[in-house]
Amino acid sequence: MRKLWRLLPLAAIAVLALVAAGCGGGGGGGGSTGGNAENSNTSGKAGGTITINDSAGSIDSLDPGYWYYQTDYEEIGMPTQRMLYGWKPDDTSPRPDIAQGLPQVSNGGKTLTIKIKSGIRYSAPLQSQTVKAADIKYAMERCFAAPVGNGYAFSYYSDIKGAPSKPSAHVEDISGIQAPDATTLVLQLKNPVGVLATGNALGLPCTIPVPQNYAAKYDKGNQSTYGQHQVFTGPYMVQGAGSGTIPKSGYQPAKLLVLVRNPSWDKSTDFKPAYFNKIIIHNGSDPTVAARQVLAGQSMISGDAAVPPPAVLKDLLTTKKSQAVIAPSGGNRYAALNTTVKPFDNINVRRAVAAVLNRNALRQTRGGPAVGTIATHFIPPGMPGFDQAGGNAGPGYDFYKNPNGDVAVAKSYMKKAGYPSGMYTGGKVFAVADNTSPAKQTAEAMQQQLKAIGINLDLHEVPHATMYSKYCQVPKAKVALCPSMGWGKDFFDSQSMIDPIFNGKNIVPAGNVNTAQANNPAFNARISAATSVTDANQRATLYGNLDKDLTGQVYYVTWLWDNNISYGSKNVTVVQNKFNGGAPDLVFSSLK
Amino acid sequence: MSAYIIRRLLWVIVLLFLVSAITFVIFFALPSADPAQLRAGRQPNPALVEAIRHRLGLDKPIYVQYYRYMKGLVLHFDFGYSYQNNISVKQQIFDRLPATASLAIGAAVVWLIIGISVGTISAIKRRSMFDRVAMGGALVGISAPVYWLGLLSLYLFANDIGIIKIFPGSGSYVPLSQDPSKWFTSLILPWFVLAASFAAFYARLLRGNLIEVMSEDYIRTARAKGLRERRVVLRHGIRSAITPIVTAAGLDIGILLGGAILTESVFNIPGVGRLAFDSIQNSDLPMIQGTVLLGAFFIVLMNLVVDVAYAFIDPRVRYS
Repeated sequence: MRKLWRLLPLAAIAVLALVAAGCGGGGGGGGSTGGNAENSNTSGKAGGTITINDSAGSIDSLDPGYWYYQTDYEEIGMPTQRMLYGWKPDDTSPRPDIAQGLPQVSNGGKTLTIKIKSGIRYSAPLQSQTVKAADIKYAMERCFAAPVGNGYAFSYYSDIKGAPSKPSAHVEDISGIQAPDATTLVLQLKNPVGVLATGNALGLPCTIPVPQNYAAKYDKGNQSTYGQHQVFTGPYMVQGAGSGTIPKSGYQPAKLLVLVRNPSWDKSTDFKPAYFNKIIIHNGSDPTVAARQVLAGQSMISGDAAVPPPAVLKDLLTTKKSQAVIAPSGGNRYAALNTTVKPFDNINVRRAVAAVLNRNALRQTRGGPAVGTIATHFIPPGMPGFDQAGGNAGPGYDFYKNPNGDVAVAKSYMKKAGYPSGMYTGGKVFAVADNTSPAKQTAEAMQQQLKAIGINLDLHEVPHATMYSKYCQVPKAKVALCPSMGWGKDFFDSQSMIDPIFNGKNIVPAGNVNTAQANNPAFNARISAATSVTDANQRATLYGNLDKDLTGQVYYVTWLWDNNISYGSKNVTVVQNKFNGGAPDLVFSSLK
Repeated sequence: MSAYIIRRLLWVIVLLFLVSAITFVIFFALPSADPAQLRAGRQPNPALVEAIRHRLGLDKPIYVQYYRYMKGLVLHFDFGYSYQNNISVKQQIFDRLPATASLAIGAAVVWLIIGISVGTISAIKRRSMFDRVAMGGALVGISAPVYWLGLLSLYLFANDIGIIKIFPGSGSYVPLSQDPSKWFTSLILPWFVLAASFAAFYARLLRGNLIEVMSEDYIRTARAKGLRERRVVLRHGIRSAITPIVTAAGLDIGILLGGAILTESVFNIPGVGRLAFDSIQNSDLPMIQGTVLLGAFFIVLMNLVVDVAYAFIDPRVRYS
């Protein structure tokens, strides 16, 4: 509402304020309550046109190398392109798409060999050309180039031999990405990388094939224009793109996106059913009007808002329950406590804050039990490591025990922190929050609750993007408390939850997602070591244990595990994609 | 008159120059979001942020950025490229301008017809039941927020979510060139919603002016000369009383041509107002500049039109 909502990072579903979330009761765990909790029926009727009303801007870019956010995946990535690995709606591990199977790991985890399918064709004007391993090599290489501006290559692919340490001015050859023949891709790594060995980080849009012979000319400038001329491998393509340039009839920024069937797509090589004949996406709708149009109309699906506005939510979950589907989003919401700023440089003050916050009341500000499960630690339900961190009950810390807050426990920690009365006696504490609803209400509720231990917030409410890029993610701004934060998975591996947020090596002058500036050498070492582990079960245990211990440090007070509530018109079977934070999956949804 | 118009047009250029400079300063002086960071993803590599900053020219001093922007604008009529989608600002604004113009001009026609008619009748039939009801209604019209009125009209009359399904609802706008009939029907609700408060204000304004004018000596003289009452009101009364209406209409239409954000949002009309709103949310400076300059241009242009129109409406006005 990304989706002001305009920026809904795939994983950072929460990072962007427009995301809200769905159902599930307090302490209800990762499951969901109300609506159709599972994608029980993913077989559908072929044909028809579906319309989506987005309330936020739209996709962020046409360039596959840039796609990262939930709306990008939902509305263009998954319908129009194929990656090495893909995700069926209920998948929690990557499924071979262009790849024939999972990576073959050798050389102590430092060599990954991926065989790819042959015969996958591009859309016009390259309809006679098939996907080669070299096209994926080029696609991954261009993700390191500044003109593409990819946001995750340096997080997941930096251990590939020859990968640049900073964005290159142009697309450059990377020696560790090799394509010895048309159907073989080899990745040579400096160290074993768990998220590559399991295929998780190869199910991201950087592995969407890009034919160098066609795209190189568009990648030459300061800003790549390949997106506007791209060729498609998925079941759909942007309307009119067959000419080699996407016309206005197919895409107008923040206004319209129309997808039609891709004649080059061969269903026999793909797991996606792609029921709809045409997908029309309108941007800029009023969230309440758009939600009502979907529920009252025909052949429509909810757009980029993770939950409908409060005015519609109650109606949806009572009289229109059959039109809703609900799933955990794989994201959470938390307040970040800056450990470099007083009074949160004191662990006992942080614990007091965790104890005093009424997480139940905070959830109420977003819509009540419908929007998610009260959190007891950082890794959300459904993610590897969730159970190891204590599941729904959590690690068992007394300051997290009472979801309604416990002033007595909070004051006991304040006393330990050196405040004999149990009340903070310092000055006002600088806090910056999102000024849009419902994040604004959450921050104001937090402001009231903290008064119980004498903490008075000097609360500044600013636009969502400003909150991040000028305050909370800028260490020199010295913001003590950021109440409106959130994070979400990139895929079903908890590295994407733990490493960015808790590892001290990620503290940077701008765009700093380690907003608490957690920087404990022992934890940093454990987090970094976990990234090299290639066994999935072992990884889950490591990250679960880390979550348990990190929760005890209270760098962040996690108060909600989000759900996603999607919904459609009566004649639509809406299928959510769990990999994509529970957003509607347009290649598995269908008309009834 | 020609010299006057040329002189005013030159002032338009100066004003637009000032507006662009002020917008630039405000963007950098106030705590708006960092465009480079916004484009760099959720866990950005610092070098990537710097690379984007360099590509966007944001690593240059503000005056250099402003000089480059103005150079492109003056020499090539180039408004630059959106930080958000790297598509020409000029192209995006001109793509959306017809929708905004359709909304603003159509609404202006509605509010002028209603406002002038009601205002005139109320003035002539002062203290009548019509006058009391109309002026009471006008107060409601002025007080009702356009966003609320838009939602209310959709819930009442839209053919998708309305109780009485009469008019096309939100998102139904099609360009005039594509389907004139659908264009017209899709804009009926937005026109009336946008026009409501203006019509109410104009009716009250005209009523007050006309009552005052109708008590002037020359009106009495006209009546004494035996002119028919209709002619007295239309030729002598309204012509004089309408001058402030022309002023207000010129300014209001100018403002709305720069974008009617709330109406465009409620009815999902892809106009300039919505574009401006999104660009502010995204710290998209080139787009903010483009939409602000467009709005300023229309306001000063309509001011000029109003001033010129005075010369034709009011015989006392002469420009040299």
